[in-house]
Amino acid sequence: MAAHLSYGRVNLNVLREAVRRELREFLDKCAGSKAIVWDEYLTGPFGLIAQYSLLKEHEVEKMFTLKGSRLPAADVKNIIFFVRPRLELMDIIAENVLSEDRRGPARDFHILFVPRRSLLCEQRLKDLGVLGSFIHREEYSLDLIPFDGDLLSMESEGAFKECYLESDQTSLYHAAKGLMTLQALYGTIPQIFGKGECARQVANMMIRMKREFTGSQNSIFPVFDNLLLLDRNVDLLSPLATQLTYEGLIDEIYGIQNSYVKLPPEKFAPKKQGDGGKDLPTEAKKLQLNSAEELYAEIRDKNFNAVGSVLSKKAKVISAAFEERHNAKTVGEIKQFVSQLPHMQAARGSLANHTSIAELIKDVTTSEDFFDKLTVEQEFMSGIDTDKVNSYIEDCIAQKHPLIKVLRLVCLQSVCNSGLKQKVLDYYKREILQTYGYEHILTLHNLEKAGLLKPQTGGRDNYPTIRKTLRLWMDDVNEQNPTDISYVYSGYAPLSVRLAQLLSRPGWRSIEEVLRILPGPHFEERQPLPTGLQKKRQPGENRVTLIFFLGGVTFAEIAALRFLSQLEDGGTEYVIATTKLINGASWLESLMEKPF
Amino acid sequence: MDCYTANWNPLGDSAFYRKYELYSMDWDLKEELRDCLVAAAPYGGPIALLRNPWRKEKPASARPVLEIYSASGVPLASLLWKSGPVVSLGWSAEEELLCVQEDGVVLVYGLHGDFRRHFSMGNEVLQNRVLDARIFHTEFGSGVAILTGAHRFTLSANVGDLKLRRMPEVPGLQSAPSCWTTVCQDRVAHILLAVGPDLYLPRPFCLVFPLALPQTPPGLAPGVSSFLQMAVSFTYRHLALFTDTGYIWMGTASLKEKLCEFNCNIRAPPKQMVWCSRPRSKERAVVVAWERRLMVVGDAPESIQFVLDEDSYLVPELDGVRVFSRSTHEFLHEVPVASEEIFKIASMAPGALLLEAQKEYEKESQKADEYLREIQELGQLPQAVQQCIEAAGHEHWPDMQKSLLRAASFGKCFLDRFPPDSFVRMCQDLRVLNAIRDYHIGIPLTYSQYPQVLVLRRLYPLAIQICEYLRLPEVQGVSRILAHWACYKVQQKDVSDEDVARAINQKLGDTPGVSYSDIAARAYGCGRTELAIKLLEYEPRSGEQVPLLLKMKRSKLALSKAIESGDTDLVFTVLLHLKNELNRGDFFMTLRNQPMALSLYRQFCKHQELETLKDLYNQDDNHQELGSFHIRASYAAEERIEGRVAALQTAADAFYKAKNEFAAKATEDQMRLLRLQRRLEDELGGQFLDLSLHDTVTTLILSGQNKRAEQLARDFRIPDKRLWWLKLTALADLEDWEELEKFSKSKKSPIGYLPFVEICMKQHNKYEAKKYASRVGPEQKVKALLLVGDVAQAADVAIEHRNEAEMSLVLSHCTGSTDGATADKIQRARAQAQKK
Repeated sequence: MAAHLSYGRVNLNVLREAVRRELREFLDKCAGSKAIVWDEYLTGPFGLIAQYSLLKEHEVEKMFTLKGSRLPAADVKNIIFFVRPRLELMDIIAENVLSEDRRGPARDFHILFVPRRSLLCEQRLKDLGVLGSFIHREEYSLDLIPFDGDLLSMESEGAFKECYLESDQTSLYHAAKGLMTLQALYGTIPQIFGKGECARQVANMMIRMKREFTGSQNSIFPVFDNLLLLDRNVDLLSPLATQLTYEGLIDEIYGIQNSYVKLPPEKFAPKKQGDGGKDLPTEAKKLQLNSAEELYAEIRDKNFNAVGSVLSKKAKVISAAFEERHNAKTVGEIKQFVSQLPHMQAARGSLANHTSIAELIKDVTTSEDFFDKLTVEQEFMSGIDTDKVNSYIEDCIAQKHPLIKVLRLVCLQSVCNSGLKQKVLDYYKREILQTYGYEHILTLHNLEKAGLLKPQTGGRDNYPTIRKTLRLWMDDVNEQNPTDISYVYSGYAPLSVRLAQLLSRPGWRSIEEVLRILPGPHFEERQPLPTGLQKKRQPGENRVTLIFFLGGVTFAEIAALRFLSQLEDGGTEYVIATTKLINGASWLESLMEKPF
Repeated sequence: MDCYTANWNPLGDSAFYRKYELYSMDWDLKEELRDCLVAAAPYGGPIALLRNPWRKEKPASARPVLEIYSASGVPLASLLWKSGPVVSLGWSAEEELLCVQEDGVVLVYGLHGDFRRHFSMGNEVLQNRVLDARIFHTEFGSGVAILTGAHRFTLSANVGDLKLRRMPEVPGLQSAPSCWTTVCQDRVAHILLAVGPDLYLPRPFCLVFPLALPQTPPGLAPGVSSFLQMAVSFTYRHLALFTDTGYIWMGTASLKEKLCEFNCNIRAPPKQMVWCSRPRSKERAVVVAWERRLMVVGDAPESIQFVLDEDSYLVPELDGVRVFSRSTHEFLHEVPVASEEIFKIASMAPGALLLEAQKEYEKESQKADEYLREIQELGQLPQAVQQCIEAAGHEHWPDMQKSLLRAASFGKCFLDRFPPDSFVRMCQDLRVLNAIRDYHIGIPLTYSQYPQVLVLRRLYPLAIQICEYLRLPEVQGVSRILAHWACYKVQQKDVSDEDVARAINQKLGDTPGVSYSDIAARAYGCGRTELAIKLLEYEPRSGEQVPLLLKMKRSKLALSKAIESGDTDLVFTVLLHLKNELNRGDFFMTLRNQPMALSLYRQFCKHQELETLKDLYNQDDNHQELGSFHIRASYAAEERIEGRVAALQTAADAFYKAKNEFAAKATEDQMRLLRLQRRLEDELGGQFLDLSLHDTVTTLILSGQNKRAEQLARDFRIPDKRLWWLKLTALADLEDWEELEKFSKSKKSPIGYLPFVEICMKQHNKYEAKKYASRVGPEQKVKALLLVGDVAQAADVAIEHRNEAEMSLVLSHCTGSTDGATADKIQRARAQAQKK
């Protein structure tokens, strides 16, 4: 059921099985029937690890959402709290436990901290007088969750904000722990590269943790050749630009949560005669999106303009396949046809879904406003008129378009101009405050602190240098049969991915200049391997690089990396890890502050 | 060799028992064993003796001495007993000596007489005194059972995790039971006791019969009026009872089944009775000892009898019984099957033949070949080799082990592909066992007990060699031994801290699995804080360093270690500790020097202690953040408008100090707007507070307050373009077309007229839209005409412009038959254009 995780170069199902085992072991420690009380945020990520059926096998009979006052009644022996280690959650748990004692038969309480047990939280429970009520207090180190055959995410929402705004390294520590777990399963990674302050810290923690484990020699043959740690703030640009791959657009328009997307139901109404149009489904259509679906795997990373032709080709193939039934004459032929039916029906269902999604997206992408916005974005990225007030942005503000859209554009302009002229910046800020409310001054401060919005200092605009050296803007983009990663943004080649590409060939030494302009140190560390585990590469064998985005990664960047992996002479295949899967909107939203 | 079976004694038809000497004891016992409390640990463990001075007949003259010996009689420890009267001694599974005092306090000593800890068996025991006590072992650890002066039992199944259980009263128990023991049923320890002819098994958890009912063993011979002695087997499966009629009953411990019985016709109560059986053997036998007589009885009409020359003491083992006295230490056990097969007189077992063949071979006799052929013809050579290997393991004397192994090795030569591991393994095990059986070590282990037994006795070098020899993984073997050694080392008070730390680090280095923090904790326990800190320096795991440092009150050191680790939770823990420990000023100073800790603490305060957060910003003169802080406060804390404005004023002041002119001005604007909104609410009613400036103006227009709207826009200098958009949107929302038209004519629109067209169309008012379409500038004219649906005119304009893009745009709007003519017109124009 999670077979798609094992298709890639690195079998990530191993990781999934390892965390599932850990979960089962914990559940079995609490003998008897159980109810789980969930920290709501965890349910999404957990769904990728264990379905309800697994929990049921281990006598989980009830599930509740963690909230104040009393727990709902449940005739179970064990109550297990699955929570993130947060103080405010501890207060709620204490409330639950204290109101529990007064009634009914005694039940056993347990806590499972995800991903790490916290002394601070236990102290809080102790202060509230309930620590002794818990029989098992354990941690479940679910740091990196496998999302797809080449994709891992920590789904840590606030990671970027914590790292770059609040200098809180908690998520970096978890990232380092997650990397240690990966190394325990897939072998020590012999070379670590990194760019950025956070990358440096994670590498330091890893080296330190390795020292803590001296002795338990890792004797697994290394699967990964390199690890590349990248700070999100090295490339603030890519997430701000509108993603133009199929998956990227689905995320931009509808938002993909833990690999699920909710879509407006009208397009998915059952097309049966008789009850046509009578009762349209009102509940959003929920679809899981991953490479387990053959068609989706094929089109997800394509530029949206190339999706239509694939869909129509697929449609022809499938209807041809169905037509085969007329040719089936003998019993044997009919039997063979019937045996293929389930697969064909699944393919047809999948095609119908994606055709509907593509139609929904097309409605948006063909709109005039989308076109205007994209034009402005592309002008900025190619360096046109980045230093004055942009009239489209002005009009957006005047018409009170969604604030997030405005912020995204203003930030994009600022990044593409290495900061805005003070006058321009103040004008935008004043317009935003007057139109959307003065409370947004806090959000603006946050954006400034994160470097997304800033006045140009020293009057030097480095972006053109970076753009030219790293070839971030490509004028001739082939969207149908791409030859360069720039196809994912129809022109702009994501900086982060370009850095990875240049690292693998010809190496970062060639771009020292640019690396110095980009924020944070760049470094290389080696983790020595015992001689028995050193790899002798076969000619033509690709390296495997684990690339870890600290602060989030977008689907377009992932698509670009997959494109590089598939290049015949690329020489490197990528496995992608991140603190969170983001898009420009969700990313900026995490930085917004609403005081009321 | 012929007399090898001389010490074999048959019991019944099927089993032999043998007794052989392990050591001749040369302990210099001053006392008779019978005058002492004696305790010997199982698995060849040590022997503890405490001369019992508290017996009534021998009033205490001097303080008694507690002595501990190895099984070979080598003294390990000797100390003066200074505590209260002892009722019973016993060894725990970890080879700790438990001394049960009359007042129910149990003192725990190490193997070397070092005092470890003490615990009490409860108040009830303290009040009624201890009459009798037993130390017993179960799979959960070692337990203590106590019979009090009030004839009640209290027991704890595991002294490591002390939980006292008081057993229910036995009805009519006026005097002490004639005998009792602990049994283990359904994984719970119980007491089995005998009163007169009845047995009781009080069950504290049995709800139906909270009181015990008397039970009688099945098939018990009549005429029994009391039980004098009882014994449970090592595994708690079997029970033996000795009655006042000199009769022994043997059966299952559940009292459901009888195995056998024996009548020895001795009515004197035996001194000791223990089971003697080996795992996986069907034979059951009990060894009974009187003053001068030792008897082995089983399922046979006859018993085996030995004469005891001196006071002896029996120690039950897993596979036999050890018997020691002043001068000797012997082992009594059932002869194992493999040995029996090989050595039994006239045995034709393959192993026996192989042993014979090998002997003949050494004599260079051709008989060797005959024997070998005989085995091979039966195809039993592999069994023969296996038998010899197995038998070697059960032999105590190295010479015999060697000759059996030689035979096995000889037989192996004639076999293809006989897996060598069992042979190699046995050789290794025997070397180890022989080494520790050596007189100086004195651990007569029978088979494959593990090296940690040695560790407990501080025989480190030997233990390490054994681990290396047996190739135990480092973490399991050598590391544990080294850690143990280090813990012992830190207790040597006469060596300086530096020397100890260096010595330990030199020896341990980065040995995997060694926990420096455990060693440091031990050092701290001995009062050597400085040493502990030095040792912690070697600990790579901060998670281990920090708690101990906190315990030792080295919080600042703990803080820097926690920060180094990157583990934020650890940093938080230290911070909260520091916060309670230091006064506020010092605490803030400490934070100031640790930026990472400071930012974490700020995070904590943001959620938990807002006031502290303010103080922190103040301390750092961080006016920018202070400004933001007060902005937040203006929303969160204040309800009244005056309060909010005041908070904003503070924020604005802070922004000025931070030289953030823009933020200061914006905040002042906000204050102005707030006051104004308040006034609007008072004068016009409705909801104005917390609307943005833009929305305030819109609301005013919507409620017809155009003048006020204009004024507001002027006051706040809203740019013209935005104001036009705003008005346009608001008037269209109102569908006040008249006003809109007036507005459009008030002056030349700074945003052009296309937005007018668009907005009218959005409200589905084509009529109004058309009015504005004509005023749209030439660049957007086509777009506007298309919006109002005038395709034909749009085509004309596009053709007039000779603009290819515009023409295709119009073309794409040509739908259905009505626009057919227009489409043709465009096509023609295009063709013309191309011609030119």
